[in-house]
Amino acid sequence: MIKAVMVINTQGKPRLAKFYDFLTVDKQQELIRSVFGVLCSRAENVSNFMEADSIFGPDSRLVYKHYATLYFVFVFDTCENELAVLDLIQVFVETLDKCFRNVCELDIVFNYSKLHTILDEIVFGGQVLETSSAEIMKAVEEISKLEASSNSITLVPKTVSGWRNR
Amino acid sequence: MKRLGRAVVMEIFCFLKQGLTPYEKKKYVWKMLYIYMLGYDVDFGHMEAVSLISAPKYPEKQVGYIVTSSLLNENHDFLRLAINTVRNDIIGRNETFQCLALTMVGNIGGREFAESLAADVQKLLISSSCRPLVRKKAALCLLRLYRKNPDVVNIDGWVDRMAQLLDERDIGVLTSSMSLLVALVSNNHEAYWSCLPKCVKVLERLARNQDIPQEYTYYGIPSPWLQVKAMRALQYFPTIEDPNCRRSLFEVLQRILMGTDVVKNVNKNNAAHAVLFEALALVMHLDAEKEMMSQCVALLGKFIAVREPNIRYLGLENMTRMLMVTDVQDSIKRHQAQIITSLKDPDISIRRRALDLLYGMCDISNAKDIVEELLQYLSTADFAMREELSLKAAILAEKFAPDLSWYVDVILQLIDKAGDFVSDDIWFRVVQFVTNNEDLQPYAAAKAREYLDKPAIHETMVKVSAYLLGEFSHLLARRPGCSPKEIFIIIHEKLPTVSTSTIPILLSTYAKILMHTQPPDPELQNQIWTIFNKYESCIDAEIQQRAVEYFALSRKGAAVMDILAEMPKFPERQSALIKKAEVAEVDSADQSAIKLRAQQQTSNALVVTDQHSANGPPPTVPAVGPLTLVKVPSTSGNAEHTSEGQALTQPNGTLTKIDPQTPSEDLLGDLLGPLAIEGPPGAAVQPQQNAVSEVGGVPSAVDGAAIVPVGEYSNSVQPIGNINERFYALCLKDSGVLYEDPYIQIGIKAEWRAQHGHLVLFLGNKNTSPLDSVQALVLPPAHLKMELSLVPETIPPRAQVQCPLEVLNLRPSRDVAVLDFSYKFGANMVNVKLRLPAVLNKFLQPISVSAEEFFPQWRSLSGPPLKLQEVVRGVRPLPLTEMANLFNSFRLMICPGLDPNPNNLVASTTFYSESTRAMLCLIRIETDPADRTQLRMTVASGDPMLTFELKEFMKEQLVSIPTAPHGPTAPPTPPVAQVAQPTSPVKALTDPGAMLAGLL
Repeated sequence: MIKAVMVINTQGKPRLAKFYDFLTVDKQQELIRSVFGVLCSRAENVSNFMEADSIFGPDSRLVYKHYATLYFVFVFDTCENELAVLDLIQVFVETLDKCFRNVCELDIVFNYSKLHTILDEIVFGGQVLETSSAEIMKAVEEISKLEASSNSITLVPKTVSGWRNR
Repeated sequence: MKRLGRAVVMEIFCFLKQGLTPYEKKKYVWKMLYIYMLGYDVDFGHMEAVSLISAPKYPEKQVGYIVTSSLLNENHDFLRLAINTVRNDIIGRNETFQCLALTMVGNIGGREFAESLAADVQKLLISSSCRPLVRKKAALCLLRLYRKNPDVVNIDGWVDRMAQLLDERDIGVLTSSMSLLVALVSNNHEAYWSCLPKCVKVLERLARNQDIPQEYTYYGIPSPWLQVKAMRALQYFPTIEDPNCRRSLFEVLQRILMGTDVVKNVNKNNAAHAVLFEALALVMHLDAEKEMMSQCVALLGKFIAVREPNIRYLGLENMTRMLMVTDVQDSIKRHQAQIITSLKDPDISIRRRALDLLYGMCDISNAKDIVEELLQYLSTADFAMREELSLKAAILAEKFAPDLSWYVDVILQLIDKAGDFVSDDIWFRVVQFVTNNEDLQPYAAAKAREYLDKPAIHETMVKVSAYLLGEFSHLLARRPGCSPKEIFIIIHEKLPTVSTSTIPILLSTYAKILMHTQPPDPELQNQIWTIFNKYESCIDAEIQQRAVEYFALSRKGAAVMDILAEMPKFPERQSALIKKAEVAEVDSADQSAIKLRAQQQTSNALVVTDQHSANGPPPTVPAVGPLTLVKVPSTSGNAEHTSEGQALTQPNGTLTKIDPQTPSEDLLGDLLGPLAIEGPPGAAVQPQQNAVSEVGGVPSAVDGAAIVPVGEYSNSVQPIGNINERFYALCLKDSGVLYEDPYIQIGIKAEWRAQHGHLVLFLGNKNTSPLDSVQALVLPPAHLKMELSLVPETIPPRAQVQCPLEVLNLRPSRDVAVLDFSYKFGANMVNVKLRLPAVLNKFLQPISVSAEEFFPQWRSLSGPPLKLQEVVRGVRPLPLTEMANLFNSFRLMICPGLDPNPNNLVASTTFYSESTRAMLCLIRIETDPADRTQLRMTVASGDPMLTFELKEFMKEQLVSIPTAPHGPTAPPTPPVAQVAQPTSPVKALTDPGAMLAGLL
């Protein structure tokens, strides 16, 4: 089972934190901090796996991937295959990329809700729900349509001109 | 920060303000969730959020569901309010609502949701009219509900449905269903036998036929996720019997193993190897032919040398797992050089894996190479790894030492290089070996002397060198630089640098050096006496005592020779270190290599020559006398006993009055003290228990009645922890571990309602191979009706089986039910008899009684047999508040203020059984503040048998003197058919106070 999904930027600020077991706010922050503490000390070109027993308790594994200014972190137990979770991170990022066209940290900050919607279509209660990014996009677009039908929420455009023209 | 605070306030206002448009609501909700993620507790608006769930329109409903599933947990009260609405959304026709509701339940649904929604969710999952989008969510939602309450999935009805689900064409639904299957089979693989061929079919479809829609191929590989899950599910079945099925599976596996190459594209590489490593795990699990296994090892050997770090990491990890498979160790050893190179990998994760693997593959043939490699690496290893590294090196050195002098070398080097990480256990062990092996003594002393020449040495090195030289330096007397005086000077140089815990050892060393100086050297004697004098007023009691005693002793002249003679040989014990390692590894589970370690034979070199301990009582323990008693319990954490023991040492403190024999024992105990600490508590206490049973005059039949030890000691498998302690702990609480050994853990969880008890036994296999011939038989006493559900014969690897046990209490009685449990692991047949904590006090329900109710009741129950009074002597002295706590933990409610005398306690409770129904029991304890060891107890209830049993039960809990269960105080109304009545003797035996009383 996947225990937690986190997106942390290289400054240590959480951009997304989803825990599939209930944890208090303080505990969540503590975990994010300690994960970041280990992550930032890791060099380039090393494996994507990290010992997480000391942070999340025995039998936990942690897989992360570093993209530009963001770390994508998945924490899970022995029931999952490490490389498969790594694939899942890739699916997650590819989907974000499709959704935001060349995703960057700002997209994630400004479209926090969208990020959540996408994650909810990939991981469901700690289990993998969908692995095809085409299917995920379909589901997310369906939800966006429903949301749009009653209000005028739109993605925040990236360029200033786009912003003005809104 | 300030702005954020303001934002929060604004938030509250906006959120609570009515008449927001859905868009605004949504905006605020997401802001709220964002600040929640940043670490600000959001504890408002929960009710509003929950009420939004029932809104008719999508946007508002969505907001409600999102907030609820993000901020609330499954035990939140508000959640209960929403169950009905959620159910309506699930059974409704609106698919988008269904998705919202399923997502919320799948993320935070608890037991109550499981009970009320499982059936509807199952319907959605198998419905043909639903879209895959809904069905895949339903599958995972059902999985969550199943985890919360396994009973919601009715096995008989569900097996066929589950098998049908695996024929699903849609890959999304199939992936979710496979996850559900994995959860189901991990609990009960037997029921889902029919799903096994289906999993193989899925694998064939993906890996061989590549029959899959384009969007589910990931970098050209057909849904690696589903392949991995299917293989995972197969690993929960112990074996595949159907030859056709097995053949087609191996065909697929062979294809995967052979058809995967390391390629340029990282993502493709990852996906392909995800499948490959899972296939490897499955091959290992299925015990394939040797040919295929060596093929796997060869493949892994290739992986640990590739450039891709992820593959290297997993290669090492899987090779460690491979060690469990028989017959491949030799082929793994061929890669030793490459593995040692991995110790220098830039990635710490990989270095750790390499260390694990080296540790696992080490045996007598390669121990020297590996341990020396580890020692070398120790000086360059990063700080985070040193502790683990030095522990592992120490364990390997101990287990596989080709000869003892090498072992001493290794440990001394270890202390020299990483003294901070060498625990006391390690140097205690060296001392034990050296003491027990005469040939080794001069060598060890010479080595210790060499290390003392180094300019700066670690404190642990000071301790071990001082001890060794104190004992054996006289063996070196002829060598240059080893005269008593020189040795004294070089050790004494270190004294200013050490902490108080080391000084006592140095003082002992001085005393011994002084004794060995023949002919006496007055100058040295004066120097040492000055030191003793100086420490006579030391604030540390241990140092002071030693200084005083050694000073007095060394003035006695020749008599000292006996007292300060060499330490006797240590009884052979299991190394605390290895024991600790085993326990630690069991905790952190996965490291299968350790289990292998535990089963392997240790090196012959370390078998201690002295075999006293094997037959008959170990010579040192009885000789050690009271002082060891003081030291030993400190490991078993019993402060009470220690204090009593210390009281004992007081008279021994004044040496002059005591005949020469006693102080010698005393001193030996003192010297043994620090070493005795490392003895495993169980082993150390055991001989004394025997002693008690002899001295206390308890008939040997009692040992037979004390059911537990019988099982405990006839097995080769040693339990972890003390079974008795676990039982007594469980008498006071409702869940915990009943029994544990290296292979299995039996946990228990109980719910008690009036005379009914619902217990669940959790049988957890800690290994990566199944436990066979599992049998559990409950032997209930006559007053309990017990029904244990079927216990499966095999417990799959790493699985936990739950066995509910229903208990019905018919009559009041103190007898205890026994669980006769046996299983087979490899060739070991293990059988234990465990007492089940279905004891008298579990059927009590505390009830508070006011003075108006109490006194009429108390008076109406006049005299025997309904009201019994007894003066109890030899009570464990407890302060009144602690006694009150004890009563509370037995579910007796203390009613303060009923008795005017502050030294008395009055308690009330209700007892439930079939024969008595609910019966009020009243208890009064009168204590004597002057003598805490005696009290008068009055117990009253409406049933004579209950009164008697309750009185006896409480007496057992309070009294500490071992009494035979069928003792002289014959019960007026004898309890029916005593199957086993181990409570009192066993309790007495484990009770340290009782042991002491028995020894006196």
